[in-house]
Amino acid sequence: MRIWTIARVTLAGFLRNRVLILFTAVFVFILLSELTDLLAMRSAARHVSAGDISPVMGEIGEILDLVGAFGCALAAWSAADTVASEMKSGTILAVMARPVERWEFLLGKYLGVQLLTAIYVVFGFGFIHLLGWIGGQQIHTTPWVLIVYPLCRYAIYSSIAIFFVTFAHQIVAFGGAVLIAILASLLKPGDNSLAFVPAAVRNVAYVLLPSTALLSEDRFLTITKASLAKITWDMHAFAVAYGLNYAMIFFLLAVWSFRRRGLSRE
Amino acid sequence: MPAAIEFQNVTKTYGRRFRRETVAALSCVSFEAGAGEVCAFLGPNGAGKTTSIGLLMGFHFADSGQIRVLGCAPGDVRAKAQIGFLPENFAFYKFLTGPKLLRMNLALAGGRSTASPDLIPELLAKVRLQGYEHLRIGKYSRGMVQRLGIAQALLSDPQLLILDEPTSGLDPAGRKDILDLLAALKAEGKTVFLSSHILPEVEQICDRVVILDHGRLVRSGRLREMIASDRIRIVANGITPELEQTARERGAAVEHGPNGVRILVDPASVREMAEALWSNGCSVVSINPVESSLEEVFLRLVDRRKEQA
Repeated sequence: MRIWTIARVTLAGFLRNRVLILFTAVFVFILLSELTDLLAMRSAARHVSAGDISPVMGEIGEILDLVGAFGCALAAWSAADTVASEMKSGTILAVMARPVERWEFLLGKYLGVQLLTAIYVVFGFGFIHLLGWIGGQQIHTTPWVLIVYPLCRYAIYSSIAIFFVTFAHQIVAFGGAVLIAILASLLKPGDNSLAFVPAAVRNVAYVLLPSTALLSEDRFLTITKASLAKITWDMHAFAVAYGLNYAMIFFLLAVWSFRRRGLSRE
Repeated sequence: MPAAIEFQNVTKTYGRRFRRETVAALSCVSFEAGAGEVCAFLGPNGAGKTTSIGLLMGFHFADSGQIRVLGCAPGDVRAKAQIGFLPENFAFYKFLTGPKLLRMNLALAGGRSTASPDLIPELLAKVRLQGYEHLRIGKYSRGMVQRLGIAQALLSDPQLLILDEPTSGLDPAGRKDILDLLAALKAEGKTVFLSSHILPEVEQICDRVVILDHGRLVRSGRLREMIASDRIRIVANGITPELEQTARERGAAVEHGPNGVRILVDPASVREMAEALWSNGCSVVSINPVESSLEEVFLRLVDRRKEQA
């Protein structure tokens, strides 16, 4: 009950957070600009031939990558900001004066972030279908994977940010989580962007950093062919368990780091 | 009477990140506040009051020493369930209204299911915030925020109230309301631990006083003892200017009155002063204990520490 109360107030705070509103407004503007391009291409492709549909799909792929990247940034920023702003304003003192354990406070905050990312994921789910419809394709996949996989990814980045913010400034925490997200995306198998780094270092980093490729919808959703790649249930279960486990490790690190943190107004 | 709050040799230092320098916020501070007492926690700015309150609530951790609150370690949820707390410059979620904030706090206190539906309207009426139920806290004045802070501190019928500057930001009428409220809580047998700079008001309701300065305990004890036995007034006639000067050099305050010269001295030096007067041929008219105000006691103790420093 206490954790749920903190989560609800956290979500209510996000929906009134000026930085997040500005962040979202910029993102929506970028999406609409991209959508304008897509609609123009699609309109032109309809009058030409079916073969010209591939640029449309390329545009859709770019937009989906943008949605995923913004989701990671949203998860990391909201997690870092929600704890830091409580410390900065001093509202944390009112909450922690109640019979609330420190881990309950952090878990409530974390769940509040997950509620926000859940809203975003539902928006993303609708947006994918909208893009598919604009692109003249039908998406054949079970809905749950398009919801659970991104949620797992965002849970990882929010737990990393919430861990960092227990000992660092919120900008540093956000930057650290985003840096990890970028490095993780560059280290996926087949990507040679970091070929100059010794293989041993890359292998260790690949194990330590969150494997976003594993938790990407791209593994089973082939939107260009509008078909569903075959992935068995146990593979889904392992991928989701990997994501939740990774998020839990960082959340537990955050609880450990937060247990002796001074709570005065900053 | 069992102690509601115990500090034993508590030391707290703050270190600066990436630097070796440390600042001592509290040095070997020991005091107690009994259950059912109103304890005033006094000290100039930077004395360590807010740090001590932070330690009591479990917001910070002492470097050494022991603290007990209602028989538990600071931050223990069993103790926090019985504490009503008002921090200095209280901050709330500005997007909530007063009743919503109180409902949230009630849920955090675990009393939402058992609380009477009239509890929140009654509390708002108690702190004179009725009629503002639909106003967001962001639109509240400083005094209204402080009243709401007091309402939330009273929310779960606490045994111990820890109030950091409860009358700060309030007008005289508001301050009187809060003092009346604290007097009523004292009559109910609640323990109140409050820090304030408005000493004449505190003096009206407190039983015990703890004074800190620069992180050190200057004095603690019952208010009656502190203000009664603090100074002795000697009234004498025939004092020469040289003798007056000597008395001043020994730390006594000398005033000229209608019945003679009044010399205020510490109880420890009264005998020495009286003998000096007699041996110099002065006539000592009276020697009586003087009841000082809490403000006078406080200023004297803090000034003496400044001189010693």
